[in-house]
Amino acid sequence: MRKLFTAWNIVLIVVFATLFLSVVYPIFFIFKASFISNETGLLSLESYRAFFHYPYYLRCLRNSLFVSAASTIVAMILGIPFAFFLSRFHVPGKSIIKTLGTLPLILPTFIGAEAWLILLGRNGILYNMFHKIGLDIPTIYGWKGIVLVFSLQFFPFVFLMVSAAINSIDSSLEESATNLGATKLRVFRTVTLPVVTPSIFAGGLVVFYLSIENFGVPILIGEDFRVLSVQAYNEFISEMGGNPSMAGSLSMILLAITLGLTVLQKYWVERKSYAMSFLRPPEVKRLKPLPTFLIWLFCVLLVFVALFPFIVVIIASVTKTQGPVMYFGQFSFDNFVKAFTLAPRPILNSFFLSTTATLVGVVFGIVVSYLVVRRRGPVSYLLDLLIMLPLAIAGTVLGIALAATYNKGPIVLTGTWLILALAYFIRKVPFSIKTTSSLLQQIDTSIEEASINLGVPPLLSFIKVIIPIMLPGILAGAIIMWVTTLAELSSTIVLYYGPWTTMTVEIFQRIGSGDFGPASAYATILIVSVLIPLFILNKVLGKDLASSL
Amino acid sequence: MRVIIKGITKRFGALKAIDNASLTIKEGDFFTLLGPSGCGKTTLLRTVAGFYSPDEGEVIFGDQVINDIPAHRRETGMVFQNYALFPHLRVFDNVAYGLRARKVSSGEIRQRVESILKSVQLDGYEERYPSQLSGGQQQRVALARALVISPKVLLMDEPLSNLDAKLRVSMREEIKKIQKMLGITTIYVTHDQEEAMAVSDYIAIVNKGKIEQIGTPYDIYYKPRSRFVAEFMGSSNILSAEVASYDDEKELLRVKINEDTVQIRTPKPSSESIMLSLRPEWIQIVGEEARSQPNVFAGTIVSSTFLGSMLRYVISGFGGQPLSVEIHDPQNAQVKEAGDNVLFRFDPDRPVILDK
Repeated sequence: MRKLFTAWNIVLIVVFATLFLSVVYPIFFIFKASFISNETGLLSLESYRAFFHYPYYLRCLRNSLFVSAASTIVAMILGIPFAFFLSRFHVPGKSIIKTLGTLPLILPTFIGAEAWLILLGRNGILYNMFHKIGLDIPTIYGWKGIVLVFSLQFFPFVFLMVSAAINSIDSSLEESATNLGATKLRVFRTVTLPVVTPSIFAGGLVVFYLSIENFGVPILIGEDFRVLSVQAYNEFISEMGGNPSMAGSLSMILLAITLGLTVLQKYWVERKSYAMSFLRPPEVKRLKPLPTFLIWLFCVLLVFVALFPFIVVIIASVTKTQGPVMYFGQFSFDNFVKAFTLAPRPILNSFFLSTTATLVGVVFGIVVSYLVVRRRGPVSYLLDLLIMLPLAIAGTVLGIALAATYNKGPIVLTGTWLILALAYFIRKVPFSIKTTSSLLQQIDTSIEEASINLGVPPLLSFIKVIIPIMLPGILAGAIIMWVTTLAELSSTIVLYYGPWTTMTVEIFQRIGSGDFGPASAYATILIVSVLIPLFILNKVLGKDLASSL
Repeated sequence: MRVIIKGITKRFGALKAIDNASLTIKEGDFFTLLGPSGCGKTTLLRTVAGFYSPDEGEVIFGDQVINDIPAHRRETGMVFQNYALFPHLRVFDNVAYGLRARKVSSGEIRQRVESILKSVQLDGYEERYPSQLSGGQQQRVALARALVISPKVLLMDEPLSNLDAKLRVSMREEIKKIQKMLGITTIYVTHDQEEAMAVSDYIAIVNKGKIEQIGTPYDIYYKPRSRFVAEFMGSSNILSAEVASYDDEKELLRVKINEDTVQIRTPKPSSESIMLSLRPEWIQIVGEEARSQPNVFAGTIVSSTFLGSMLRYVISGFGGQPLSVEIHDPQNAQVKEAGDNVLFRFDPDRPVILDK
């Protein structure tokens, strides 16, 4: 008993040390840096003073909040009816619409932005087409473009959360309201809507969070419309040696917002959700042909517009290109041939980094879940809180923090692949822990105890009994972790260096220099690499994306 | 294997889940821990299994104190309330699990698993997964899995509580039969007093972490020592009385309950004011002609409920106290209505004096 206890203590120390070194200390490090003057090296509030003094910086904050709020509203306007229609009415092709409707949330947003640049950039094909006939349609640049991309890619979160809530309303609830004399509209307003409201907010919060944290989209199509994440990156990476204090304080302000959102999510929305003992699912109504057609059209159009950018990128990847000029209609595999033969490193790098981060993440996830779920106590409670911290940190901020912390001093990691793998691991491991620990919670302790009782020591019992039971869930978690790290851009862009260029960085840079052909080829490889595991997840493990997130 | 529990105390924070519990279980006995939920009976069972270590006291198997032996080396076979079958293993592998942990040869495993499955009437189900079995079948697999390792002690934690009423009755007969056949010392936890009486050689009544009484089912029912035991085992009318006189020669006690004088054949009580337990089936409704007999009192019917095999009255007697009365096989009884005045009596041998 005693020996086991110390063994677990060692595990605890390793877990805490990992979290401390990869999150807590780096964040503290830039927190400290933000209070140090660049000129004197002394404690100073000068960068915060500058932030609140110069309209240039304040505008970044305002822009961030504005674009996130706008995207949240649009995502709700799209996601709520989408959820409602698909849950309550008969819609032809429902299951395929649902599956395709959740896809945008797993596809990289900056690839979406790339597609819109191909279509509506200054040299975009749609823009040029209309320009030729004397029509100047709006380009994708600026806040409107950002809102378009965000709302189209993030509305599935609203859709998923709201439809889960709608489907959990027992039909007797609405029936009893009707029985008490309420009209259909009144039932919707006084029963259905209030029950669904917490989920609408929950979905909205996620969209807001993802929007404010995003880096790839605003940097690609924002242009003069600067947001916090982009500005923090610029200050940090600047050619002139950067402004670590300003980068630090911008990161801190962004962190304060994302942390606030996470706390709000945890304590407000979670508390207000209505758990209902499930008796009878709501009825799926069959409407008259015309309303059915209109609903169907709305859903299909939404899914099509949301996925259209990715189709564009795939088409662009097999289009003949010469520098920035694309010859649409002329088929060519050149971009792929070049990607695979001349520059395969980014592909291999991405695969290697994601796989490493995922493997470590899975083991870490199992260990931490065990500590949190099975060894309850003040220490595991602290661990439970700490492990969710990375979820509240924007990728750019984490990247800046890690780069600043491990640039010099006793541990130097910048310029190695380790720092990338570490960033991937720590950013996405909360997902792995969430899936494993919720699975573990569902497994009654008596299963483990039965094994112990039959003569198998505790640790071996866990390995022989609990891990096999959790295996499908662990695999699902691993797949999600693998595909999301593969598409990671915001921390990679801060942390990568020459030989460790990843696919995402390669795409990003090619877009920047206008090489849409090769960018699209890498993007297509990335999209396929994301979709194949998801397909396996769906077909082999019988899990859909929604249940694994 | 004889099991002795000696002064066990187990605390969870400030709560004493078990408070200085002691008991001895003879080799081959079927011993039941009976009590309401949260009384500490499962905690005591899990302490024997080794899932909890006691704060004080000893668990002894045979002559050996086993406090320091970890759960996986205690050689107990436990049947869990929710069966705890391994969902990813077939019936055969579930049952073989403990044998494999003991490095038993595969030929012997096959032979022992088949034989135990036969004795729980599950031969032919080896290749099924637990999810393909009914509740009763899962229960048998759990029992087989615990028994196949030939444990020193069989531990059962509310094993029948997830089954429906009919199955519960037939399963408990079967458990009892197998236990007697194998002669295995068994500790059984339940909150169902009827189940406890049906299967047990001995019962320990557990209340708030303490053992209230240990005895055979017969003793516990007819000689409850405390109010808790009297009310928990079946139902009981609890009456407060004052001692009036005691006849040493006849061992006859006279007590006053309000205005009425009641005769009880009992050793002399130590206290002047006592508490009586009177089971509803000990009370009879009698006619005028019985007036002269001892312990006949007048009362009024408050309610009358027909339950098929019996008729249950609530009578207001002894100065307005509600008394529960059960008339078995009521077909020939003259059914009284609420408001009827009646006479009721009971035998002076019957009332039990409770420790306060």
